[in-house]
Amino acid sequence: MTNVLVVDDSRVSRMLSRQYILHKHPQWTIAEAASGEEAVDKLSDFTPDLILLDVNMPGMGGIAAVEKIREKCPDVHITLLTANVQDAVRERANLLGIHFAEKPITEACIDQIIASYES
Amino acid sequence: MFQLTELQHDALAEIFNLGVGQAAAAMSRIVNEEVTMSVPIVAFQNRAEVATTLDSPNERRICAIAQHFEGAFKTKTFLMFLEEKSLELVRLMVGQSLSMEELSEMEQEAMSEIGNIVLNSCMATLANISGRELQGSLPTYHVGTCNDILSHSDKEWDGVVLTLKIDFNIERHEIHGYVAFLLDLPAMNDLRDYIDAYLAKLTG
Repeated sequence: MTNVLVVDDSRVSRMLSRQYILHKHPQWTIAEAASGEEAVDKLSDFTPDLILLDVNMPGMGGIAAVEKIREKCPDVHITLLTANVQDAVRERANLLGIHFAEKPITEACIDQIIASYES
Repeated sequence: MFQLTELQHDALAEIFNLGVGQAAAAMSRIVNEEVTMSVPIVAFQNRAEVATTLDSPNERRICAIAQHFEGAFKTKTFLMFLEEKSLELVRLMVGQSLSMEELSEMEQEAMSEIGNIVLNSCMATLANISGRELQGSLPTYHVGTCNDILSHSDKEWDGVVLTLKIDFNIERHEIHGYVAFLLDLPAMNDLRDYIDAYLAKLTG
């Protein structure tokens, strides 16, 4: 059983991620958060194996959330899933040692994230 | 008066063409359809003229997603569609699984996310070309005539602005949208420096 936390301020993005993940793995458990703060709070009652993390969100953004998430869940696999596809953001993901994936959220994009997690 | 040489003007259109090309590719992945683009139109205009350039026939209502970007230069970007097409666009994005009621309920959020993806994709190309990061705001959603939408814009756009308009079409669904970039005078000077740096890089 795999626990996935989808962190995105866009409800439609959370819905699409959930839909494509469950299509591939109907048995996986998915929780959602709409900001970095909510994601960190969620970790007190949910232990994710995989986190899909947006970058630009109101309040705490994805990059700032990574460190706080790692304090609570050091082994979690994090994918930065963002529309902000600038080289600077990719490099930041690289420096943080996390996977980077480009929006839009499509079935192929979610497949790629799952493959990165499973490898 | 702000002026660009023919070469700067050409480079500007080409850089934004590359950016919107990436945006069209992102849009194509969202709707799973081919998206075609027009040649960019670059103009220096006051706000009333901008509204005329961007407006759809007969003052039809449009929905617009706006985002500010700052960094190498400062700009306000817009992605616009006819309002009557927005539900169809959202349907293409989320698929057939939602009822019309659910679809209407999330229309605004879905359109904002489409704008976020398309505008960021475009601006990322511009940032990557220069190697200078552009910081984007969160997207805001507006509905009205083009003039209404620009009237909600900040005071800073009251003077002459540079507009770049590129149309894109999702042919099979007759959905036409356009991307516009507004820059005020100080931003135009920064943009000229940005273009010169780009040209210098090209010519070695």
